[in-house]
Amino acid sequence: MGDAPLAYHEFPILGRAYFLGGRASTSVKRVLGEAGVDEGTIQRVAVACYEAEMNVVLHARSGYVAVSVYADRVELVVRDQGPGIEDVDLAMTPGWSSASEEARSLGFGAGMGLPNIKQHSDAMRVESTPGAGVCLLLTFQRGGTAHG
Amino acid sequence: MAESALITVADVARELATQVTGGEALQTPVTGAQVCDLLSHVMARGREGQVWITIQTHPNIVAVAALARLSAIVLAHGMQPEEETVMRAEDEGIPLLLSEDSAYTLAGRLYLLGVR
Repeated sequence: MGDAPLAYHEFPILGRAYFLGGRASTSVKRVLGEAGVDEGTIQRVAVACYEAEMNVVLHARSGYVAVSVYADRVELVVRDQGPGIEDVDLAMTPGWSSASEEARSLGFGAGMGLPNIKQHSDAMRVESTPGAGVCLLLTFQRGGTAHG
Repeated sequence: MAESALITVADVARELATQVTGGEALQTPVTGAQVCDLLSHVMARGREGQVWITIQTHPNIVAVAALARLSAIVLAHGMQPEEETVMRAEDEGIPLLLSEDSAYTLAGRLYLLGVR
């Protein structure tokens, strides 16, 4: 993209730590507020970031979220070390989930994570290496709205 | 509408809850409610100021409520929050209202209270 971000932060995500889930997203939300990003954009980023964070918690060993704030947009990179996604198109299907029974009993694994992320972002790229991990790249135009 | 805009978390707590714990933001106006146990659904459909009725008790419900800017969480059916859930709710300022009533009954009582 070329231009330098106005703000950049990284937050770690621990796999399997259900009870810590949401910590990274809460931090992202806070730094966007401090950077003066509008409430609507913050809300869209918060939803997408939470879903991406919980995917790492539920499926991977560890990961991180990096947030970059630009004058016209916010970018998120969520990268993990884990099993990866075998079939990204299948994983994008609303209602499809590979979450464990334990996770489902806690209210996760509704199969809405990736669809929610797509709906709340303006551009979404999933780079999956089965057996190694997933890298999710998301762009949010500042002042934009959710899709559908 | 003017009347419903005046309903606060404190009003809901007085009407429905047998115990209030977690965050202390009780003067937040209540804009609506939802009954749901799937966290992704609440994240996607939750609206600022809503009260959330659920039987989930783990700390993640606080993260969802805070990120979706909900006004309070109501734990139905006598469900007790985990210790970590209460601590996070205190940190995030999200009140936890505990009730012996079913989610169905709670929704009905909220509706009659004027939360629409």
